[in-house]
Amino acid sequence: MPTTQERNAREVFTSAARVWLQENVPARWRENRGSLSEKETDEIRHEWDRQLHRGGFAGLSLPKEFGGQGLSMVEEVIFHDLAAQAQAPDGLARIGRILTAPSLIGHGTDEQLARFLPKILNGDEIWCQGFSEPNAGSDLAGVSCRAVKVDGGYLISGRKTWTSFAKMAHRCLLLAQTDPSAPRHKNLTMFLLDMKQPGVNISPIKQASGLTHFAEVQFDDVFVSDADRVSTEGSGWKVAMTTLMNERGGVEATSRYVEIRSDMDLLLATLGDRPDLRKQLDELDIRVELVHWQVSKAVDLELDSPDFFRATSILKLLWSELWQETSILGLENMTPETSDHWRLQYLETRASSIYSGSNEIQRNIISERVLGLPR
Amino acid sequence: MTLLTTRPGEIGLLAAGAIRSALVKATDQANISSYIEGQSPLAWSDISDAGWDLVGVTEDDESATLRDLVEIAKAWGEITVQLPLLTTIMAKRHSARAAEHDGPVTFSIPTQALAAGTGMVPFGHIAHMHMVADFTSDTSSLVAVQSLTSDIFAPSLRAAHSSHITTFTAEAAREISVVWAAEGSGIAKRAVADAVTYAKQRMQFGKPIGSFQAVKHHLSNAHMDAEQAETAAVWGSLDPTNAHRSAVYSLDLSIRAVELAIQVHGGIGFTWEMGLHFYLRHLITLREMVTGLGDHA
Repeated sequence: MPTTQERNAREVFTSAARVWLQENVPARWRENRGSLSEKETDEIRHEWDRQLHRGGFAGLSLPKEFGGQGLSMVEEVIFHDLAAQAQAPDGLARIGRILTAPSLIGHGTDEQLARFLPKILNGDEIWCQGFSEPNAGSDLAGVSCRAVKVDGGYLISGRKTWTSFAKMAHRCLLLAQTDPSAPRHKNLTMFLLDMKQPGVNISPIKQASGLTHFAEVQFDDVFVSDADRVSTEGSGWKVAMTTLMNERGGVEATSRYVEIRSDMDLLLATLGDRPDLRKQLDELDIRVELVHWQVSKAVDLELDSPDFFRATSILKLLWSELWQETSILGLENMTPETSDHWRLQYLETRASSIYSGSNEIQRNIISERVLGLPR
Repeated sequence: MTLLTTRPGEIGLLAAGAIRSALVKATDQANISSYIEGQSPLAWSDISDAGWDLVGVTEDDESATLRDLVEIAKAWGEITVQLPLLTTIMAKRHSARAAEHDGPVTFSIPTQALAAGTGMVPFGHIAHMHMVADFTSDTSSLVAVQSLTSDIFAPSLRAAHSSHITTFTAEAAREISVVWAAEGSGIAKRAVADAVTYAKQRMQFGKPIGSFQAVKHHLSNAHMDAEQAETAAVWGSLDPTNAHRSAVYSLDLSIRAVELAIQVHGGIGFTWEMGLHFYLRHLITLREMVTGLGDHA
């Protein structure tokens, strides 16, 4: 139970955040989002990262010593919720904030933390994630992108795929094979690679929906220095697990909740008077709220406790499958006013049960690590 | 909505812990089928002497909140015994006359399974049970349950049918729904844990069946349902507007979790002696009653 002091602090934080968002969400975004060009959209999103930093809302749950706010996951979730209500943009720094930062806090050196965290938090550096490869998807431990030791660092060669933000990224959190003769899970190393150098070739991937959120990245003898290696050689798998825990965790689920909530509101606004859909709509609406309550329950548990992992391990499955179902209901019952949205959303959400680790793999993880079933 | 905490208070944690240990001690990990049709392994006096039947009575700031009662009900559900603890806690919380009464109390709810004018009385089949006649009145006395017939569908609920139907306040109906949803989530959690234990031990094709992906995915889904059933009860305890719908959905999830637990048990899963059907019977009856409370909540 939080103390009265904690409760008061949360209330103060909540009202400060609400006021700040009211004053800072760009009107252009709130009112004309649909008509903005891709370039304008990126500019607003990038500027939003800087605004968050100036306002003292960047890195809420990250330690103060690294430029964070030193608060907890509770404030992180409260802020995401309020930001959604205020229709705030999503910054471009999300990979850096949600994935790189916790991975470095868990495994990086003080020097790496001091070099990278401030630039992640102030919006100067955008990150991408170099994990998946054409032949290493669900079997992530099978990555074959090679890091060959040279004087003062490594030369990276290989191909990464499904890389979000690749085109604009300054840095890549990259998982590569350092020792092909070492056993599985011991042969990988994590690097902090500079994307703005020769040998990095980015080709956008057009998805089934027609949008291009992802890219394929080819690395040809790209240099990364020893100082940009995370932890020891061979520890890459361990570092990647920290990254993936965060990718499938509460902060990510909260921002998904916000997107699904807005789809749900559209369903209710356009189909709420259909008696034949009442039961289905009501159940979906309850499930949308349950994503939110599941996160709220999890963040109140002791971080990294078995209960916390029990509660967070199901989040990715919940939101990804729910989002597919809301878009299917929308598609089946679309009107001329909503057809563009639901056609796109239906195709977009085909990906949600696959990216961030397929739902089959996530179910294996739950059964083995939460329930303790044999491999 | 922005929310400050989902955690129970000290009293909820304390009571849930004490009740769970009493149940563990009394049942000694016995299968539910070994005791549920006979004598309760725990005596009513073990509960009432400690005062747990009064834990929900609102007196001052130290009283249990509905969130606390969710924690208690969840623990109670994890080890199901045939005692009227939850009906008594809720009756005494919402009726001054019930709180004064020395002994267990229940109420009568119309359900879709019964003819109009008849109510389902959980634990109404136990001798000398009293029930609340009217939650809206401070002066109306309790009535002794006069059973028309006993309802043997769920042995763990010792239910009876009565021609008297309790009048509920909206708050009582809502809170009872949430507490039963929480109990259901405890039952679901227990059933999933039992199925996991079974899947680790049961060998087929030379391996534990829990190593097969098809079985793993059933159990992951059952785990998700049980987790969400608890979350829905917690939500209901903190958000009165959505309490009843979240409680009904919570029970749907718990029922699905037990269905999967039965599937994972294979052939033994649908036998009387394995006992999983007792959980299902209990949950289905809770859902009938919670649905019946919907007109009031």
